[in-house]
Amino acid sequence: MSVILENPWLLGAVAGFVVINAMMVTAAWSIWFERKFAGAMQNRPGPTQVGWAGLLQPVADLLKLIQKEDIVPTNADRALFNLAPPLGMILVLAGLAVFPWAPGWVPADLDIGLLFILSISSLITIPVWMAGWASNNKYALLGGMRAAAQAVSFEVPLLLSALVPIILGGSLRLGDIVAAQADGRWFALWPPGPGSVAFVLFMLASLAEANRIPFDIPEAESELVAGITTEYVGMKFGLIYLAEYLHTAVSSLLGATLFLGGWDGPGPDGIHWLLLKSFALFAGIFWVRWTLLRYRADQFMALCWRVFVPVSLACVAVAAVWRVYA
Amino acid sequence: MIDWLLFAVLSFFALGGAARVVTSENLVHVVLYLAVTLIATAGVYAQMDAGFLAAIQILLYTGGVITLMLFAVLLARRNGGSVPAEGHTSPLRSLLVAGLVAGLSGYTILRGGAPNRAPEALSTAELGRVLLDPLALPFEALSVLLLAAMIGAIVLARRKDA
Repeated sequence: MSVILENPWLLGAVAGFVVINAMMVTAAWSIWFERKFAGAMQNRPGPTQVGWAGLLQPVADLLKLIQKEDIVPTNADRALFNLAPPLGMILVLAGLAVFPWAPGWVPADLDIGLLFILSISSLITIPVWMAGWASNNKYALLGGMRAAAQAVSFEVPLLLSALVPIILGGSLRLGDIVAAQADGRWFALWPPGPGSVAFVLFMLASLAEANRIPFDIPEAESELVAGITTEYVGMKFGLIYLAEYLHTAVSSLLGATLFLGGWDGPGPDGIHWLLLKSFALFAGIFWVRWTLLRYRADQFMALCWRVFVPVSLACVAVAAVWRVYA
Repeated sequence: MIDWLLFAVLSFFALGGAARVVTSENLVHVVLYLAVTLIATAGVYAQMDAGFLAAIQILLYTGGVITLMLFAVLLARRNGGSVPAEGHTSPLRSLLVAGLVAGLSGYTILRGGAPNRAPEALSTAELGRVLLDPLALPFEALSVLLLAAMIGAIVLARRKDA
């Protein structure tokens, strides 16, 4: 044990292996959870056939995806078409390295942890756009263009609302931001005002970055067939799909860490609180997905620039005033 | 040893990407190779303990500017996204410009001489303090400059419409 803990390379490898596998398994079964959840909301059973209550459905889906014929469109840009799905996956998983899972459990304790996650996730647009362009399909291309426009716009309120916990916590290190919220002084609750508004804006902007309903216009199936995934089959489609789920999961983890006190909670602190909070946010995102309709592309941009950006700027200003005078 | 290996890999991607930016025929590939160069350069920054600079480089240049460029390339594309064949490229002129740039930067580097001490790594907190206290005025002046550039761009874009 001490051999692993003393060697940073070994520690990184082991922590990375554990975190990545745990997240992949969670993501696979969160698809099962979402289908059950949606079924319950719509008064139908959801998956029931494979295993008890359909619990083995993700395994069956995986086997099916692996067996499918791998089709690449004739006029596609082959290299970029094949590169896009794994690249998206890598970028989503890379952000997990800096999370404080529990007191003292940080795989890579960077002093710019939050900035690291935000910069890595700002890159995720590139593989999404790449998939759309390389497919050589007009629907895929439109989806990719929408994704790029959406990501560039929502980056602004996302970063501004993430500035609020940075100002209140006084650090870019995620561990310090969590520590500043110890004993229930979560930024979503205290100080009243900037924190809670920034929390809502942060989660909405994250939904837009992860292309989830009501902001999934890059993939709008009623307009664009399947958007960027139109030409993808088999495991490549599976990777894009899974990366989207993982992105949502990482956003929930980040929301819980920045605004809901991370591993802090009543009783003993620890990883269980972080997981519980992020799972609640994750389920909330599914709830929104199965309740709301999709925004129209232009209304959605107007919402971003006319509402999200000014409100998040105001949050930053109020948080700064609070930090200096209170 | 590992440091040198990492530096070699990062330099390979930075220089290789830059070379492909110049030689690639496909405009989209050019932008993506530029992204490779920028990310590899950010890696070099991170290796020199300038983590903040590395993260900002990725956040602004790769996440923001490259995404905008990808967007712009498609809005302005000709000949199916590839570089127009009827170019204004003359090897002589390119060579002249490249030579001038190389000469100027080489002269600057040689004049500066080799640094006689290792650059001290500034922590992100210290960097923030420096930017907001002794360097606050230049920092604000830069912001005003950027704002002026932005307003200028909007004015120019508007005039074309009317």
